[in-house]
Amino acid sequence: MLKPILLVEDNPHDLELTLVALERSQLANDVIVMRDGAEALDYLLRRGDHTDRADGNPAVLLLDLKLPKVDGLEVLKTVRETPDLRSIPVVMLTSSREEPDLVRAYELGVNAYVVKPVEFRDFVAAISDLGIFWAVLNEPPPGSLRLQRQLRDRKSNDEPS
Amino acid sequence: MASLEDQDMLAKAIARCGDEPIHIPGSIQPHGFLLVLSEPRLTITQASENVREWLGVDVKTLIGQPLTELIGECGFAEGLATLADDDHNPFHLRDINFNLPGRSNHPPLALMAHRYKGKLIVEFESAGSPGAAYDKLYPLMRTFVVQLQEAQDLQYICQLAVREVKRITGFGRVKAYRFDAQGNGHVLAEQADEGYPSYLGLCFPASDIPPQARQLYCNNLIRVIQDANYVPSPVVPRINPDGEPLDLSFASLRSVSPVHLQYMRNMGTLASMSISIVIQGRLWGLISCHDAKPRQVNYQTRTACELLGRILSLQIEAKEAASLAQRKLELRRQIVEMLSSMADRDSVVEGFKCMPQVVLDFAGAVGSAIVAGEHSEPVGETPPAALLVRLTQWLSQQREQLAFSTDCVSRDIRAIPELAEHCAGLLAVSISRLHPHYLIWFRREQIKTVNWAGQPEKRIDNQGGLSPRHSFESWQETVRGYAIPWQQVELEGALELRTAVLGIVLRKAEEMAQLAGELRESNKELESFSYSVSHDLRAPLRHIAGYAELLGELEGSKLSQRGLRFLDNIGDAARFAGTLVDNLLSFSQMGRAALRLSDVNLSALIESIRQEMAPDCEGRQIDWQVHPMPIVVADAAFIHMALRNLISNAIKYSRKREHAIIEIGAEERAEEIIVYVRDNGVGFNMQYANKLFGVFQRLHRMEEFEGTGIGLASVRRIIERHDGQVWANGEVNQGATFFFSLPRLTYASPI
Repeated sequence: MLKPILLVEDNPHDLELTLVALERSQLANDVIVMRDGAEALDYLLRRGDHTDRADGNPAVLLLDLKLPKVDGLEVLKTVRETPDLRSIPVVMLTSSREEPDLVRAYELGVNAYVVKPVEFRDFVAAISDLGIFWAVLNEPPPGSLRLQRQLRDRKSNDEPS
Repeated sequence: MASLEDQDMLAKAIARCGDEPIHIPGSIQPHGFLLVLSEPRLTITQASENVREWLGVDVKTLIGQPLTELIGECGFAEGLATLADDDHNPFHLRDINFNLPGRSNHPPLALMAHRYKGKLIVEFESAGSPGAAYDKLYPLMRTFVVQLQEAQDLQYICQLAVREVKRITGFGRVKAYRFDAQGNGHVLAEQADEGYPSYLGLCFPASDIPPQARQLYCNNLIRVIQDANYVPSPVVPRINPDGEPLDLSFASLRSVSPVHLQYMRNMGTLASMSISIVIQGRLWGLISCHDAKPRQVNYQTRTACELLGRILSLQIEAKEAASLAQRKLELRRQIVEMLSSMADRDSVVEGFKCMPQVVLDFAGAVGSAIVAGEHSEPVGETPPAALLVRLTQWLSQQREQLAFSTDCVSRDIRAIPELAEHCAGLLAVSISRLHPHYLIWFRREQIKTVNWAGQPEKRIDNQGGLSPRHSFESWQETVRGYAIPWQQVELEGALELRTAVLGIVLRKAEEMAQLAGELRESNKELESFSYSVSHDLRAPLRHIAGYAELLGELEGSKLSQRGLRFLDNIGDAARFAGTLVDNLLSFSQMGRAALRLSDVNLSALIESIRQEMAPDCEGRQIDWQVHPMPIVVADAAFIHMALRNLISNAIKYSRKREHAIIEIGAEERAEEIIVYVRDNGVGFNMQYANKLFGVFQRLHRMEEFEGTGIGLASVRRIIERHDGQVWANGEVNQGATFFFSLPRLTYASPI
């Protein structure tokens, strides 16, 4: 079974649009949604409401930068400081191109940083690329053969097994 | 003219003259006699040899005897109690008679006593008539004091004193002179009988009075030589029982230097008296009396003259203090005027330039300049700028001092000989603790003619000793290269001004620091503001565009053509707003980001922009005329952005031309480089030229030419960050040319 994608997004519109984009990217992974940084950490660290969740880390963490309670950079920091979580690929999603955030995120060990484009088509493309790259090619090294196979598999069998 | 060797010998002789221990001559003038007593028994320990003439006894018979045995119980011992300990001047105790064999019916003797260095020195001279003296002296003194109080001007005060002393003493010529900073005496007032040469207005050289004599004159205010041809009477024994020669500093009978007696004889005078004018411990001047014949001055007259000298000193001191206070007040007023001018204009230099007259009057100067390193702001007559720069360098190399002044630059600033061609005196104060910044005043050469009372040189006799000059004939000397000397009060005023200016400079620096701090704060706020704008404004725009597109995809088939067009418009509008936000953000960053200067090859830059723009040029016929471009020092990314804006504008606004021409070139000037981008497009009306570079200013309708109205504003901001300028020429339908200038920067340029 494919690992899920963990999407952390507070804005309902962005959430909906991102989900549409993920849907269109035809990734087979489940998408688990958390609406703020605290909830995301609870999930990742299996605390609070998520104490009993299934084992395993998400395939990729799509993290909005500005989040209520605990912001994206703090979530990232905790992920990188927690041995069990350290290897999760983290992609920052943000509206902003502001430099300090970008620098800070890279300092904290982000894997990718995506400024959400205004153009919806571009947004879909970006999310889809991200999903494929990180959710499918999660385990390094990112060999293109495996990507091809997975894509082929999915085309021949629409429903995941 | 004396040869060098002669001058050398003269200098040595003067030095020897200056070494003569005139306070311990070992002898007295014979117009009285002297005894030294040891207290409390009042035993005579030393005596002058001329007691033989005065008392008819050998000096040796007196040594060891108590004085009281010789003069009887006349109240002398009791009178001693009235001698003040701190006043060393001889004090007339009483008139006495000596009870000596063969000495009856002798006229009484005046006894004057003073203590000095532990010795009781008693001097005797013929007693005058006390009654007559007081009758004559007191009224004279009273008139003098009243007149003195009314006198305002220094010259007149001196005239009054001279007249009074002449009346009291009867000397043939009395003159008052004042010493200058070098010690030369200038005759201010003179009263002389017929037949005496006049010295009024002349100058007696400082060497006439050696330093130790000046010191003595400061202590002992009155000296009399009754007859220059006197034969000194030695004091016996020469060394007193303490093993010391007798110190006669305050004795009225002290014998004077033979050099001085020769000087008097050369001058044709046999009697002299001088009264010191001492102000604040300094020998200010002298009242000097001379007579062609020997002249007796009794102690009453001397006392009156001494008193007169003291009153005169006080009066002069008061006058000088008053005029000093006046000058100080004036200086203070000028300082306040200059400071308020500086404060009003918020600039030391501007304030300085605005009131040239006050600046010059302040120091009594003909020129002044504020010099800051290489830059100078002259007022009035100053040396040329290049010399000012050298002067500043020289000043900054001098020992740490706040003020420098000279009345003779050729003597004191030998490193810059040319300076003397432009000024003779200068006063400089440093006005920065860190930088070589100075406020300097200049004085012109004051060609001075000194009327010396004879050549100011002494002559050496054949033994190498000093023989005083023989000639007192007036002799003119022209002194060149000197300015009027700076007075202490002017130096103090300049220092006071310096302190205040430093205060202004410091306050300004503090204000700047505070301003910079506030600016940093507001910059930070601005940063977080633009962050919010970019984040929060872009999100809804993204949503609008996203939903509009989704709607079109899902429900498009149900919409009318018009509905679909509306949906497209919604998407376009949102996307445009997104671009606007992005451009605004980068525009605001342009104002804040630090410039990263590097060599920028404009030719290469233009080539890369053309490649970047190639898609926009597809299907068009554009004649590119790119001239060779220089390499400039600038921020490469910013210049790239500016040129891309201008070139993309040229492409955009020339697109209706079948045959578009875009010309790019540069002109290299001494201090800057001008770059231009010219097209033959739609151009613009020069009437709107001032609007071109404003944010959101557009000269065309959106349907004609798309754009956010930020492009040229960005260009301007970028160029202005480089300290350059932007401008444009154009005519409707005749194309436009956009220019920008870039100063020739270096990597060290402060931007």
